[in-house]
Amino acid sequence: MNILLVCAAGMSTSLLVSKMEKSAQEQGKDYTIWAVSGDSVQNHIDKADVLLLGPQVRYMLPQLKKLGESKGVPVDVINTVHYGTCNGAEVLKSAEQLGHVS
Amino acid sequence: MNEEMEQIIFQIILHGGNGRSSAMEAIAAAKSGDAEEARKKLQDAAEELSKAHHYQTELIQNEAGGEKTEMTLLMVHAQDHLMNAMTVKDMAAEIIELYEKITEQRGASI
Repeated sequence: MNILLVCAAGMSTSLLVSKMEKSAQEQGKDYTIWAVSGDSVQNHIDKADVLLLGPQVRYMLPQLKKLGESKGVPVDVINTVHYGTCNGAEVLKSAEQLGHVS
Repeated sequence: MNEEMEQIIFQIILHGGNGRSSAMEAIAAAKSGDAEEARKKLQDAAEELSKAHHYQTELIQNEAGGEKTEMTLLMVHAQDHLMNAMTVKDMAAEIIELYEKITEQRGASI
């Protein structure tokens, strides 16, 4: 499964990515997870199965949802509690639910 | 960096980020002519920023009390988020006012 995360610059979300990767590894799942800035989504969405937005770019949801629909990629905003606690396992779970993968 | 500090930093990023998003949504609401929603979103932004600010104040008070905060790049990034969000919120308030004025003037000229 390929999980694309979006935030303003891609930095804070990178830490979340490493936690998600760790959680995926622990579960023996071979996922590709990466974070990009809002402006670069266009160049990355084709490689993604699901797209998750950081709360700081929530306002881009209508625009990115439209893009996701045209590419067949489900889009959602990361739960704020999970984001605020940098909970990789939970965000991974919601990505799987969003992409109907478990 | 310890786990507790990482949590605090993420709270600043989260609430700063929420504030920024709400401020941007407020502008979008004003643009579509929904002044009431715009005001509500702006209020949400202010509340989120005050939460982020609360964490920052805690760190500053700790430092004043002799408990130094380790400066990591992530912390700098959190500050960057917060400051940017505050600017966006202030500018959003101005832009919303402009949209309201435009709407008023259009109404008067019809």
